[in-house]
Amino acid sequence: MLSTMLQTVVSQTAEAASQAAAITGADLRAAGALIGAGICMGFGAIGPGVGEGFAAGKACEAIGRAPENAGLLTRTMLIGQAVSESTGIYSLVVALLMLFMFGK
Amino acid sequence: MELSGETWLMLGRTIGAGLALGLGGIGAAVGMGMAAGQANEGMMRQPAQQSALLRTMLLGQAVGSSPSIFALVIGLLILFVPINLEPAGGNVFAALVGAGLAIGLGGLGGGAGCGFPAGAACDGGARNPRRLSKVMQGMFAGQAVTQSPCIFATVVAFVLLFFKCEPGTDLAAMGLCLGAGLAVGASAFGPGVGSGQAAGGAVQGMGRWPASHTSTFRMMLIGQGTCQTPAIFGALVAFLMLFVLDEVQNDIVGFAKVFGAGIAVGFGGLGPGIGSGMAGSSACLAAAARPDKGGLIMRTMLTGQAVSQSTAIYALIIGLLLVYLF
Repeated sequence: MLSTMLQTVVSQTAEAASQAAAITGADLRAAGALIGAGICMGFGAIGPGVGEGFAAGKACEAIGRAPENAGLLTRTMLIGQAVSESTGIYSLVVALLMLFMFGK
Repeated sequence: MELSGETWLMLGRTIGAGLALGLGGIGAAVGMGMAAGQANEGMMRQPAQQSALLRTMLLGQAVGSSPSIFALVIGLLILFVPINLEPAGGNVFAALVGAGLAIGLGGLGGGAGCGFPAGAACDGGARNPRRLSKVMQGMFAGQAVTQSPCIFATVVAFVLLFFKCEPGTDLAAMGLCLGAGLAVGASAFGPGVGSGQAAGGAVQGMGRWPASHTSTFRMMLIGQGTCQTPAIFGALVAFLMLFVLDEVQNDIVGFAKVFGAGIAVGFGGLGPGIGSGMAGSSACLAAAARPDKGGLIMRTMLTGQAVSQSTAIYALIIGLLLVYLF
């Protein structure tokens, strides 16, 4: 019973695979653009995440020890985080470029 | 599977740009965040110095962001520079992906490493506001040395992009391009982070004990020098692969041996670079506190760093064996 069920599933998958269209060059180019966009934004998100988190942690520590300067410390944290964000924006822009210019 | 020329080219462009921009920004962002955090700590101690500390932080972050700018420029070039080849094949793919690997991996170390001295300068500026300009001199010098592996990687990426895009699909040429990219890129990570750590410790020492500034500065440059050796090995092997080697057999064995050499020399520098950096950082800090014991500390640092570099030398030997004996 189980073996006949398995046999049906396997034969149906093989049929579907043989009926699928062959991979064309245009498909591969689009696939490359899509994977490239994924690599670009996927790894590009690591850096700003870690860096901005470290800055936020240090800001919390500083405010805990000197709460009267909270405004100044928060402002500095945001400025530093904005600079760190810039590389993430580069990755985002190029990932979107690749997606919409080459991914169709 | 037979791929058309246009397919090889576009695959190379997109994956190369993805690697360049994806990996290249990581280090700079982490380093810039570190600098921001230390600046905040400094402002907590000395709110009166906020404008000086903000300026120091922004200057340090600006130098630290240069690897990500290189990565952006090279990534856009990889994506858009016109390459007229008939017929394009695997060689173009490997050259473009190799360039992406070179600057992507190469930007990791330089960017992250530059965050340490920038943060330490903010810390030093808070502790000794009158000595801030001398501390910043130390920061800039330390950051400059930290950036040099990234410069090697940029040069190799440019060479791959503009001189190695050739028609055809030769496994040997593909292996050489990918191997050169890996060798110079991956070998930049350890030395970059390590030199940055050494500079961070030295700049922290300059901030806390300003009297011993010159001897700490000297110790920083020497400590950073040892950290840079794996990056020199990586750049050397990359240049060998790009300009000297032409007796590589044109089959899967040839591809495997140069690609393997790239991996060996590239990743072999990771550990020694970081370890020597930790040694340099502690040594500079200790020598800043006790300048009278500077000679003894420097000898210990150099001995320790030399032992730490041993595995990088083994990696270089294996890489050269792979390339010349097999």
